[in-house]
Amino acid sequence: MANDTSADFVVVGSGIIGSLTARKLALAGASVIILEAGPRVTRGELVARFRNSPRRSDWMSPYPPKAWAPHPVYQPADNGYLVQAGPYPYPAEYIRQVGGTTWHWAAHAWRNVPNDFRIHSLYGVGVDWPISYDDLEPYYQEAEEIMGVSGAPDTGSPRNKPFPMEPVAEPWAMRRVRERLAGTFPVVTNTTARNSRGYDGRPACCGNNSCQPICPIDAQYHGGLAADAAEAAGAKLVANANVYKLEHDAAGRVVAALYYDPDKTAHRVTGKTFIVAANGIESPRLLLLSASDKFPHGLANSSDMVGRNLMDHPSTSLTFDADEDLWLGRGPQSPSSINTMRDGAFRAEHAPYRLDFTNISRVDGATRALIADGVYGVELERRLRHSAARELNVKNVLEVLPRPEHRITLSDQKDAMGIPKPEAHYSIDDYTRKGHERSKDDFIRIAALMGGSNLRFSKDGDFANNQHICGTLSMGNDPATSVCDGWGRTHDHENLFLASTGILPTSGTCNSTENGVALALRTVQHMLAEQAGAAKPR
Amino acid sequence: MIAATAAGRMLTVLAAAFASTLAFAQAPAAAASADIVKRGEYLAIAGDCTACHSVPGGKPFGGGLAIPTPIGEIIATNITPSRSAGIGNYSLAQFDDALRRGVRADGAHLYPAMPYTSYALVTDDDVAALYAYFMNAVTPVDAAPPPTRLPFPFNVRLSMLAWNLLFLHDATFKRDPAKSDQWNRGAYLSRGLAHCSTCHSPRNLLMAEDASRDLGGGDVGTWFAPNVTSDVISGVGGWSEQELADYLRNGRTAGKGQASGPMAEAVDNSFRHMTDADLHAIATYVKSVPALRDTAETRPAYAWGAPADDLDTIRGVALPDDAEQVTGPQLYDANCATCHQARGQGSFDGGLPPLFHNTALGRADTNNLVMVILDGIVHNGEPAGVVMPAFRRDLSDQQVATLGNYLLQRFGNPDAKVAAGQVGKLRAGGGSTWIVWAVRAAMLAVVLLVVAALIGRGARRRRIRDT
Repeated sequence: MANDTSADFVVVGSGIIGSLTARKLALAGASVIILEAGPRVTRGELVARFRNSPRRSDWMSPYPPKAWAPHPVYQPADNGYLVQAGPYPYPAEYIRQVGGTTWHWAAHAWRNVPNDFRIHSLYGVGVDWPISYDDLEPYYQEAEEIMGVSGAPDTGSPRNKPFPMEPVAEPWAMRRVRERLAGTFPVVTNTTARNSRGYDGRPACCGNNSCQPICPIDAQYHGGLAADAAEAAGAKLVANANVYKLEHDAAGRVVAALYYDPDKTAHRVTGKTFIVAANGIESPRLLLLSASDKFPHGLANSSDMVGRNLMDHPSTSLTFDADEDLWLGRGPQSPSSINTMRDGAFRAEHAPYRLDFTNISRVDGATRALIADGVYGVELERRLRHSAARELNVKNVLEVLPRPEHRITLSDQKDAMGIPKPEAHYSIDDYTRKGHERSKDDFIRIAALMGGSNLRFSKDGDFANNQHICGTLSMGNDPATSVCDGWGRTHDHENLFLASTGILPTSGTCNSTENGVALALRTVQHMLAEQAGAAKPR
Repeated sequence: MIAATAAGRMLTVLAAAFASTLAFAQAPAAAASADIVKRGEYLAIAGDCTACHSVPGGKPFGGGLAIPTPIGEIIATNITPSRSAGIGNYSLAQFDDALRRGVRADGAHLYPAMPYTSYALVTDDDVAALYAYFMNAVTPVDAAPPPTRLPFPFNVRLSMLAWNLLFLHDATFKRDPAKSDQWNRGAYLSRGLAHCSTCHSPRNLLMAEDASRDLGGGDVGTWFAPNVTSDVISGVGGWSEQELADYLRNGRTAGKGQASGPMAEAVDNSFRHMTDADLHAIATYVKSVPALRDTAETRPAYAWGAPADDLDTIRGVALPDDAEQVTGPQLYDANCATCHQARGQGSFDGGLPPLFHNTALGRADTNNLVMVILDGIVHNGEPAGVVMPAFRRDLSDQQVATLGNYLLQRFGNPDAKVAAGQVGKLRAGGGSTWIVWAVRAAMLAVVLLVVAALIGRGARRRRIRDT
């Protein structure tokens, strides 16, 4: 096996979580290697591909996967990488390249609300986290200062220090929504990692409205920046290194990561501590792929919980025409939301949710819809103008409860490298469906307040996915029901840690990235404190 | 008794003298009126002392900034009134010597990275006001930055004595009664505290400003400070006084250009905070500076180009596998068009500038174009922040050259060129130290000549003796 290298810490995955983990370790003086399955990319080439794509609303079009590091794509056709076992499809999207999936995101960087950590105790559903909001609060702040986060003053997540910056200017459409819903629904600016001023060498948002698939000016934080920061801090990043197995010794300690380069030549990287940070699907896949005689069900899997409890945030939505021109598309794509249904006694009965207003320009979607309807000429122009100006869309972001039967397993099918593909087993349960039903009342009231007409609910039974993959590496105090402890250390392997949104034991109502980053920063603090022999941080 | 009285009287006199000495020593602190301190602060801003004497994000005037020069890095000193690490022990006269004559309190000579040849023009009153400000209103910082260590022979500070004899004109500003008050004020500021010529005048082999080409353009590290004489082609003759004042105030003037690099810093630290009257005075004076023409230039830097695009060559065409082969239009599409728009026209409200009719693409010297692509434009004033992102991380030397040449062809001066080697050099900091070696070589040559002369004379003597 070629090119043996070694480091104190081997991080698998260069996404925002892996890279910020590596950065913090490297800043503390540790030797760190990051292994990334996919290639290096530059913002420029992504922007060029986006501008050159005929599918402007296909956010994966600038990110074609490499054969040696496949990821799921669904347009123009499903590439079949993420095998669907059903009964409900789970068409997750993620990106395997240096910097990972946050190259395209809406930059939502929410904290949980404190009760999200105790839903079993409080509401008799789901599970409690092994840590509390207060345990995580300083690391939320650390993440927010790295990423340059701003937000509304009170969305239910108390803070000890202010946001590092002011929110981006409110787009006109969002201002009108806020004004017209005032008194019934408080519409507030979203908590996002998007610059409202120059921050850390990056410019302020100037409203390109292409946050997804790519912010063309790096006004929003992303994993590519985190990877750069990790390298600047001294971490060594190896791209095109598709890790397919973790090796262990007789004592169960992980000793090496094996990866294929694009020619399928195998390499072996040894280390003292291993951190799997390859997202909520690829991470459990790797643990399962690493099965051995000693661990026949895969690493960290004595509980059989690896890959289970798959969660995300399904969404249903309402589109309608307001009675005034709003012209969605100016400013960021997802600027404002309603946060009053994130917590409450109702959580015993149905899913809590956030209500998110899209601010994505309607021009592309409306044009395609009108042309598909055979509209042309003067009528096309008139109706396109009307739709672009008046259309408004509000969606819910629903909590999903952990269920062991919702899971990622290894498929019988293999990818181009001969490695078993991941397979998703998923469904939408009644808890989530009831949340959806409840939110429809809100949709209708919102439409009424906006003078809405032509109400179009998303198709009954259809839930859009939000790519907030969590649960598959759940942390918990009980080794029989969880994969890792509250520090991200696997129960089964003393030197194997998990840094991923996969370790979130419940999904809450907010995008998972900031939770994953904050937990990882806390994990690093713990590792460094352990090494220094100092008292453990909270 | 008499003796005692005499002794007593003597003591009294001594005590009085001592007291008055004390009083004199403390005079600036005690006597400086708030108005004078305030005026001193304004003058310190006009002089942009902070540009060199503060580290970005550090304590004001605490020193420590390494200033790159062709002969090595010069470390700016602490000029806070700290008695241990700054200039807290300086008398007014000592302060004056440093400011206007380049001599420290200990008698050692300053390097002319400190623009004392310009500050020499500052009036006695203004020197006193500056002194009052630094002594009274600046917070002492009791930490001294590391000393400057230049290579031989420049580490011999006494060499500056000879340099000063040649290049320091020790006379304060003299009004020109034939000119307006505004012109005189502008000349006083421009040639004195604002020290425009420090960057904008070319330097001779001994690193002194070339007075015969005043404001004719000079190199500042990796940046080029352009010709700002009154010439309508090569200088700012085509700018109105208002446009110049706007530029100094805002760092940009629509249809002309925008400040970047060290000039953006000068705007942030200094010009932005000056009065309209002073900015107009500076503009008036600059527009009167004798015109210098670069014969290679055929039209003003801001007068090139027109909106255009090459989208038909790139839409539907995949990016090449080899990143170095990406074309100019593709690089523009990927990196520039988001802000400067498809046809280089900028945003509809001018907030994001057009690339044609923009000095950034009009000059024969393309160092600033390369530097702006590498490092972007950052302002520390209001509005703060990154007004253009840096592409140092994203673009290779070849890509910057390809892009730069495309921009020049499409929107700017098509005769100007960017070379990949130039980009590499500027990316690395430019840092050619040829001057150190040239001077050492010159010194060696002199030594060799002297030795040769001595040997020759010895040989001649021997020949004389032998005959």
